[in-house]
Amino acid sequence: MHHDHSYQTGSSASHGCGCSGHNALSRPDQVSLGQIGGGVAGVTANQQGLSGSSGCCGGGQSVAPSTFVELQTVQNKTAPRYWKTIEEYESDPAFLARAQKEFAPGAEWWLDQPSRREFLKGMGASFALAGLTGCTIRQPEEKIMPYVNTPENLIPGKAQFFATAMPQPGGAVGVLVESHDGRPTHIEGNPLHPASGGAADSVAIASVLGLYDPLRTKFVFKKDIVSSWTDFERELEARLTVLRAAKGAGLSLLIEEVLSPTLQEQIKNLLALLPEAKLYQYDSWKATGAVEGAKLAFGTDAVARYDFDKADVILSVGADFLAEGPNHLRQASGFAKRRVVNADGSANMNRLYQVETTPTQTGTKADHWLRLPPAEVAAILVAVAAKLGLDVGGENRIQSVADHEKWIAAAADDLKAAKGKSLVIVGPQMPAEIHALAHVINSELGNLGQTVTFVPPVSRIEGVNPGSLTDLVREIDAGSVGTLFVFACDPVFTSSTDLKLAEKLKKVPCSVYYGMHQDTTSKVCHWTIPATHYLEQWSDARAEDGTISIVQPLIRPLYDGRSVHEIVNFIAGVNASGYDTVRAYWAGKLDSNDSLAWEKVLHDGVVKDTAFAPVSVTVAGSAVTTLKSTFNVEPAKQSDTTVVFRLDGNIFDGRYSTNGWLQEAPQPLSRLTWGNTAWIAPSTAKELGVKSRDLINIQKGNATVAVPAWVQPGQPKGVITLTLGHGREVEGHKVVGVDVNSLRDTNSPWVTSAKISVTGKKAVLAETQEYYRMDGRDLVRFGTLKQVQDHPEKPSFMDVGHHHPGGHHDHDDKDDGHDHDKDISYGEGPGATFFPNWPMSDDPQWGMTINLGACTGCNACIVACQSENNIPVVGADQVGRGREMHWLRIDTYFVGDVDQPDAAYHQPVACMHCEHAPCEPVCPVGATTHSSEGLNEMTYNRCIGTRYCSNNCPYKARRFNFLAYNEQTWQLPVLQMAENPNVSVRSRGVMEKCTYCVQRISSARIQAKMENRDIRDGEITTACQSVCAANAITFGNVADESSAVHKMKTHPLNYGILTDLNTRPRTSYLAAVRNPNPTLVTVETEAHHEAEAH
Amino acid sequence: MPQIFHPSMNVIARVGIFGAIFLVTSLVGGVWGFVRSPYMTEKGIARPQPIPFSHAHHVGDLGIDCRYCHTQVETEAMAGVPATDVCMNCHSQLWNDTPMIAPLLESVRANKPVEWRRVHDAPDYVFFHHGVHISKGIACETCHGRVDKMPLMWRENTLHMQWCLECHNSPDKNLRPVEDVFAMGWKPKESTPTTAELALARHVRSQTNCSVCHR
Repeated sequence: MHHDHSYQTGSSASHGCGCSGHNALSRPDQVSLGQIGGGVAGVTANQQGLSGSSGCCGGGQSVAPSTFVELQTVQNKTAPRYWKTIEEYESDPAFLARAQKEFAPGAEWWLDQPSRREFLKGMGASFALAGLTGCTIRQPEEKIMPYVNTPENLIPGKAQFFATAMPQPGGAVGVLVESHDGRPTHIEGNPLHPASGGAADSVAIASVLGLYDPLRTKFVFKKDIVSSWTDFERELEARLTVLRAAKGAGLSLLIEEVLSPTLQEQIKNLLALLPEAKLYQYDSWKATGAVEGAKLAFGTDAVARYDFDKADVILSVGADFLAEGPNHLRQASGFAKRRVVNADGSANMNRLYQVETTPTQTGTKADHWLRLPPAEVAAILVAVAAKLGLDVGGENRIQSVADHEKWIAAAADDLKAAKGKSLVIVGPQMPAEIHALAHVINSELGNLGQTVTFVPPVSRIEGVNPGSLTDLVREIDAGSVGTLFVFACDPVFTSSTDLKLAEKLKKVPCSVYYGMHQDTTSKVCHWTIPATHYLEQWSDARAEDGTISIVQPLIRPLYDGRSVHEIVNFIAGVNASGYDTVRAYWAGKLDSNDSLAWEKVLHDGVVKDTAFAPVSVTVAGSAVTTLKSTFNVEPAKQSDTTVVFRLDGNIFDGRYSTNGWLQEAPQPLSRLTWGNTAWIAPSTAKELGVKSRDLINIQKGNATVAVPAWVQPGQPKGVITLTLGHGREVEGHKVVGVDVNSLRDTNSPWVTSAKISVTGKKAVLAETQEYYRMDGRDLVRFGTLKQVQDHPEKPSFMDVGHHHPGGHHDHDDKDDGHDHDKDISYGEGPGATFFPNWPMSDDPQWGMTINLGACTGCNACIVACQSENNIPVVGADQVGRGREMHWLRIDTYFVGDVDQPDAAYHQPVACMHCEHAPCEPVCPVGATTHSSEGLNEMTYNRCIGTRYCSNNCPYKARRFNFLAYNEQTWQLPVLQMAENPNVSVRSRGVMEKCTYCVQRISSARIQAKMENRDIRDGEITTACQSVCAANAITFGNVADESSAVHKMKTHPLNYGILTDLNTRPRTSYLAAVRNPNPTLVTVETEAHHEAEAH
Repeated sequence: MPQIFHPSMNVIARVGIFGAIFLVTSLVGGVWGFVRSPYMTEKGIARPQPIPFSHAHHVGDLGIDCRYCHTQVETEAMAGVPATDVCMNCHSQLWNDTPMIAPLLESVRANKPVEWRRVHDAPDYVFFHHGVHISKGIACETCHGRVDKMPLMWRENTLHMQWCLECHNSPDKNLRPVEDVFAMGWKPKESTPTTAELALARHVRSQTNCSVCHR
């Protein structure tokens, strides 16, 4: 085995020592090389030869022959300005060698698990296909089957859109579902819905795949045996008859929070009918801090809502408010509105101080970003409170963060200066007293009623007080639970192991699990009954602000599921369908004068005026005194490593773990797919001798879990972050990731301490951050608001690091920038070219801008693109080989030191639709061509798979179907239902890439042509653009001077990437602008900015 | 030096060389011709249907407008094939006891669609839109031929890309006033604007970008 590729994150002393015997299985691609075996060793050696010549074993980059490595060497005189991975930061030679390659090593191998059987199967299939085409050289005949009775309002072949709402943990999010001939295919946000505002998150977009999930429970199961609803009803009815006679004694229901007013009413009625029945509620994701904090501060359990568009100064203490919580879309959109810099340099910009433990997306957007262990995060708020003049005590705590004195003072001063226009927000997993303190501070600053308002909890059922999961376990132990209905999602998996829920549930004489999958919980229940997806049922759901949406079905239940309303009706002995139940609840509640009131509510997706009236709150007089005594207690010191638990941004607590779109969406910051890791600080990793992908043992009490380490820039020293939701067992699904719930403690589910030890083993991870590098050129531009306002017409950071091959561009000429103002769509470039200039016709010229200042790297665009464009899921193994198919990727660049990066920038990259596209002239078959509208078109049926185009693409925006990734879809008709009929499904051996959603352009063009008019500005939104909460993406006709995209293209912050190659990309970026506090801008930072300017 | 080749080689070589050229040419020509033959394109071959529906009778004899059955042809991608209930508008009263339309009655009875055999079938990677063609003044007849003279439907044209491009390269030669697109056997009158005028009025231009049809 060659060692040249060995993975090194160590100090510079270890550079180039690929021969030092590190296990070469450190990267998935190397595993593949190893697995493929003898037949390909020659190729392996050949590839390795290249990396060898780049000086890997020579001990440095100085002997490097290639231009790229030379470029790196030049840059490495000082640390790179920004970087994607630690290897890049440290210029790890093995990494540099890998980075030279177009595809990850092993990417060209045809089959993965190198089994002969698979190979033969593949060959067999090819021959069969060849045989088939041999027989049917004529076009196969199709049938036309019209309706018997034409349905009303359905036009065959035309998409319909329906408003509904997706119940998400914490509150519903309104969505618009695109339906093709009765098949829901794509989801976008509902502009009328308060929690959406037209945007959607990756979870909502991917829920359409969850609907068709072939792993969903399709039958009623009695233990493991397929049963039927009839049998279930007969057996349970016998039990329920007895229970009803006993007023429900012995009957227990375990529910999740109830967002549906109809269900709330049903439960109330059920408990009135069966007063002895017990109700328990368990929400694995819900931390108690916020509720108890509000009780502590105000004496009520009101829930805080934040208006980020009204806040000038924000202090966030561990809150990932741009990405987490039922309101994050509205929050992200409010925040983004206050980050806009106008073309004249004017801006009404907010300032965000973020202190947190695990680096989050919100942290990357902060103007001042601190990452500290959990106790110190809390201490920062105490210190800020003290600076604001509140008598909160906690001297010891304040002392523990004395290093950050300046930061604290700056934040406190800014908050004080923005009374009534500031806000302090605390992360849900912070302890109650910190939540209470934030309320006190907000009250002190006059923010209550301004930027912070309060509403009642959305899932509270009047007069019903459900018990907790712990209560249920106690009752089971006491033997008082005879019949149990479990409506919560896989509680055996999500609950901490110390509850021993699996064992306890086995003791229940009759347990029924209502769920979408056969999972860990269904294994220990007597019955598993199939649940409906929200796109299959009638229901209603409240958003976090109280606004109610009617949940309407888009399709009949695919897998024989029944809605929760129907099951509760069954328990109560009521014979009514879900629809009747919902209609009955709403009878008389809508506008009685309007005979179409119900239709209007369904059409809009919201019931008007159902938002909660704000609750007025006042800080209790005793609150500060109570807090003071809490803070004066010195926090317990611990010797072990602090372990923090976080919900997964994609699959949440595990409930979305079977969704391939979500599993394959790279996690923000680490860009890891399919699995979880233990995040560990670079400095801590060095101390422990741990590198990314090393398996480490995390031991707490009797529980030991082996998790792959991930050295994450920005992770605070001495803290490990673990992600929940992975390792869930679902029947028919390969377990992905590691279940870490056994390390959690019911009493302290979010923070714990544990011992870390190194196992010496390695894990295989599929991470995308390292792929598709663009050679460290001038890719992200960023600066401060001050820099913009000093030179609004051309901020200093807009004129940096640009390579001009022909010396065409003179840096010293201050007026030089004006020459390029004409090049609205491309930014700077050498100018001279043999190619004709665009536009060559008076057709609309499509172009896009992406605002780096707004982008939070949330992945919604990636998943929306996947859904809209029929992009296949390729699986962990393929991602590990750099074969992921996402047309749109988000590159994350960190700035500053590896341990304490100053900031991170997210850059979505897709096909740039270059006017002088390098991919086009190299295609031997004319499969990629330029349209008169400036689109770089890809004609799949012409493509013969030479991959020359991808080789020649400097942006690495093209994706190749190495395998028949859609085969699964062809074999499972249910998955075909999720496909967009307006986009070709690609086969093996075909190149594909972003088309600017050409199907949407075509559809708008046809509509405009039929109406004999031009396409209006804003008529076309690309899939990525329409779901973006931060409004980061603008798309339109760049040749139209009144268009929104033209305005963006002429913005002084607009720039193109790799424009020195004279590609003239139609997609350009707006530089990110931050608004740091001048008192915190250090001398070094200034010097840094100066250096950037030259 | 003795001769290596016998004089007869002259003839053999000539025959061989010209024979090879002939063979290759006829092979290429044969394939070229074959893919354009009615066997492959199904051009002009009437396709039997479960119900021998005659456009010649309904359109030619009775004069029913295209849009009575193909309701969405003016606005949508698909022209639309009539649902059973559209047929039954008349046939619940007319000819309802003939064996010819028995499958129609069976469709009503069993609530199952009539399975028509598709005649005009562009490949799946071609995205055709009827509405835009109609609204620009491309007549039904231009692509589908004299439907009013077809007892059973056949393809009037090959549906080859080359055939599409003939018109997409220079669309104006096939234009007629929008109000006349549904007419069969239409001839321009003296008052009819020229195709160039029509193209100007309806903003009709050559459309040859790949993504116009393939996406």
